[in-house]
Amino acid sequence: MTAKMEVRGLSAWYGAKRALDGVTFDVGENSVTAIIGPSGCGKSTLIRCMNRMHELVPKAKVEGQVLLDGKNVYDLDAVAVRRRVGMVFQKANPFPTMSVYDNVAAGLRLNGVRDRDTLDATVEKSLKLAALWDEVKEGVDASGVSLSGGQQQRLCIARALAVEPEVLLMDEPCSALDPIATAKIEDLIFDLKREYTVVIVTHNMQQAARVADMTAFMYLGKLVELNRTRDLFEKPKETLTENYITGRFG
Amino acid sequence: MPTAAERKALRGGLQKLNENMVTLAELSELSIRKAVESLAHLDPESSQEVFTLDEEIYALQLEVERTCVDLIALHAPVAGDLRTITTSLKITTDLDRIGRYAKDVAETTLQIRQARPAGLDKVPNLSKMVEQTIEMVDAAVDAFVRRDAESVRNLGEVDDTVDAMHDEIFHDIVNDMKNGSLDVEVGARYILVVRHLERIADHAVNIGERVVYMVTGERVPRVRAADRAKGTNPAWPLGRDS
Ligand SMILES: Nc1ncnc2c1ncn2[C@@H]1O[C@H](COP(=O)(O)OP(=O)(O)OP(=O)(O)O)[C@@H](O)[C@H]1O
Ligand SMILES: [Mg+2]
Repeated sequence: MTAKMEVRGLSAWYGAKRALDGVTFDVGENSVTAIIGPSGCGKSTLIRCMNRMHELVPKAKVEGQVLLDGKNVYDLDAVAVRRRVGMVFQKANPFPTMSVYDNVAAGLRLNGVRDRDTLDATVEKSLKLAALWDEVKEGVDASGVSLSGGQQQRLCIARALAVEPEVLLMDEPCSALDPIATAKIEDLIFDLKREYTVVIVTHNMQQAARVADMTAFMYLGKLVELNRTRDLFEKPKETLTENYITGRFG
Repeated sequence: MPTAAERKALRGGLQKLNENMVTLAELSELSIRKAVESLAHLDPESSQEVFTLDEEIYALQLEVERTCVDLIALHAPVAGDLRTITTSLKITTDLDRIGRYAKDVAETTLQIRQARPAGLDKVPNLSKMVEQTIEMVDAAVDAFVRRDAESVRNLGEVDDTVDAMHDEIFHDIVNDMKNGSLDVEVGARYILVVRHLERIADHAVNIGERVVYMVTGERVPRVRAADRAKGTNPAWPLGRDS
């Protein structure tokens, strides 16, 4: 499998506090990689470093490399990187004053797209990809925040997809969702990997087992094990991984 | 990952499963011992004990199955826990089959006793094969109980010797039946008994392979006896695993 992204010796700090410690791993193209690990182990920090959002935090520092198609993202323009490597957050955060339509079109407009037909087509395509179109097509002018939690999360996914990123980073995208909405998003992730590369942080091990090709286990800022998902859950290499996934922790 | 409370419940279930598995394994082993004893002494009481054991084994197998299904459904176990549960499920089938063969041997005792044929003193000597077979079951069961993969890695080779004994005894019986020194009904029944023992040894091999998987996560490649004899190992190197 070709690597879409390669993380090399990545360390990150919040002021004096070290949150990542020499993380190295590859993300295969057109695959889903799940990141699991206890709270505070650095999962969010890791994916935020992968699209240069970590540096937006005051006093934050990064060392090491993150390669996107072989080029270090820290040598590229940060805004361009964030366009190519999109992010969906744990808590759905639609722009509160914008309609469903404008939420999805926002990124495109920011990139200078003005043509109405292009916008219409992209909004529809993105909402369809995010499995939300059927539920909102009659009311794309309604406010984004008038949607249910699960719909808002899919709206944010549509917004991220509209700018056609190459990689989609998702930070616990289902943690606030009911089982039906969760299943829809898992379906979506499954479909997405045909065109995109997906990295998903999740606390739900069964979710990782269902959607991910590869799974990484992190602990105390370090990457303990990256393995084929099946093997990680059936026969992990590291005792630390086994102890975590079987609940023998702490 | 499971919370501390979930882990505690899972641990309780796994403990119960393990206790039942150990009992099940011991009952299966006991039933072979009783069965060959009943045959050796044409003792109907031992046969009866085997029939009772068979019922116990069946009931316990159902109980184990229920426990496994509950554990899987309620706890979505992973890693070593999952391998223990799936292995237990598979092994119960082998243990149940062993119990069934023991029952068949015990039935043979009753049939021969009833027929009371002449020339019973000419029956073939099975003791070595019996010993070897029981030893294999014992090793497999022991490896399961102690979670010891290394002790059963060579079980396939031990099975080759049991297979060889099977062939040898089969020919002896046929020869004795041909030259008239062995009653044909007794000979035919003994051929079946020898076959049952050979199958019991095969189930011991299965259990051994499962134990290796349970402990290490590694799938044991199946090597044909002929290839093992040649010292080659072409079948499928880890074929089922990758
Ligand atoms: N803005 C911040 N300022 C200071 N420290 C932070 C900040 N964000 C995170 N940290 C610290 O960095 C470490 C890693 O945090 P991170 O959010 O990456 O963990 P996580 O694995 O995503 O946890 P969770 O599963 O709870 O989301 C933690 O010790 C956390 O306290
Ligand atoms: Mg986080």
